[in-house]
Amino acid sequence: MRVSQQPGFVLHSRHYSETSLILEVFTREQGRLGLLAKGARRRSSPWQGMLKPFQPLLLSWTGRSDLALLIGAETEGAAIALDVDSIYCGFYLNELLMRLLHRHDPHERLFDAYRSALRALAGAAVPEIVLRIFEKNLLSDIGYGLVLDRDIQDNAPLVPEALYEYVLDQGPVRVVDSDLHRPPRGIRVHGESLMALALEQLLAPRALRETKSLVRAALSRHLGGRPLHSRRLYQHIQALRSRRGGSDSPT
Amino acid sequence: MSQETILEALKEALRRLPGVGPKSAQRMALHLLERDREGMRILAQALASAAEQIRHCTRCNNFAEEELCAICASSRRDHSLLCVVETPSDLVSLEQSGAYNGVYYVLMGRLSPLDGIGPEELGIARLEALLATGRVKEVVLATNPTVEGEATAHYLSELVRAHGIRATRIAYGVPVGGELEYTDRGTLARALTGRREA
Ligand SMILES: [Zn+2]
Repeated sequence: MRVSQQPGFVLHSRHYSETSLILEVFTREQGRLGLLAKGARRRSSPWQGMLKPFQPLLLSWTGRSDLALLIGAETEGAAIALDVDSIYCGFYLNELLMRLLHRHDPHERLFDAYRSALRALAGAAVPEIVLRIFEKNLLSDIGYGLVLDRDIQDNAPLVPEALYEYVLDQGPVRVVDSDLHRPPRGIRVHGESLMALALEQLLAPRALRETKSLVRAALSRHLGGRPLHSRRLYQHIQALRSRRGGSDSPT
Repeated sequence: MSQETILEALKEALRRLPGVGPKSAQRMALHLLERDREGMRILAQALASAAEQIRHCTRCNNFAEEELCAICASSRRDHSLLCVVETPSDLVSLEQSGAYNGVYYVLMGRLSPLDGIGPEELGIARLEALLATGRVKEVVLATNPTVEGEATAHYLSELVRAHGIRATRIAYGVPVGGELEYTDRGTLARALTGRREA
């Protein structure tokens, strides 16, 4: 099988032999796959400096095994310039894709969402909002989409000011006064926050806070209890920075 | 053990060397056996001594034969200037430039979240201990200009500044004698963004 000029990004690369690289890439029509880039580390390689994360690429390869052979790579515009802070968010997106996508499953919509998320991180967007929206799209693309429009008990549309308990793998259940005296069945979140996540308009601080707990809990179900290293690294940095006054982790 | 298995074991051992495949391993083994038995003894002795006696310098983490490496033990070096590099070979390159008279810290890697390498895995605590001595006045961050190298430099700059110490990053750009036309895009982009007053 030969694939030509497929839009893609390198998620991760590692050295192979003295001169080559093994890449894990995320492509638009072929999903995640492994590629052997022979000679890519030679000084004379036409791919020198190109096969790196956050660089939009057009990739060509041959072979259908778990490790196909890269036969062509071109840049599709400049690398997405993530600054020192957003680079950790970029690692976080890559780590999520590495952990949650199966090889060779196409995810075209998710690919577009990933590209937009990187561009937004490089721009003026609030990282936390970008990450929540990407996580929501990721969950829905891998078949675990959140229910963000109705109460699962009576199918009634969400009421913005009402409080819900989001039961993982099921959905939101409206909280009545008597519920407040027992331990919650799920993550407590207001109707308005769920609707804001559905509309991808997470501007209110409460919506951001509540949806962060919700999306984190939903993701951790699928991460098999293993921690995300990029999130830990970001927390380390925040801890260092808080000695001089810093902010919350967006991951 | 029959002779074949000893020879196989030798070839397998040679294949541990970087860039040595089955064919090269066979050629090396047969060359040594046919023409250089003495060389085999010298090689075996040198490997055994190195494995036994070379350790990490307790200060800079580079390879050393004593508790301190020659650079850390030298009184001619400026111990208030500390340069952080990823690998021993990066240190060798900087030493060969002859432009640096400070001391080093060798990370033996870089932060790489997707490989599960965070600050603990990289042994950052030892670097922190060095910063806490109060001797270092400036830390030069000389990690590679890769995505991971940049993230490592950023993390370290936060760490260094949290200790109240100045952090600087080495400049990357167009190689001396290099022509713009033949410089790759990434290097050119860095040369432009990292430009200084001229
Ligand atoms: Zn030393």
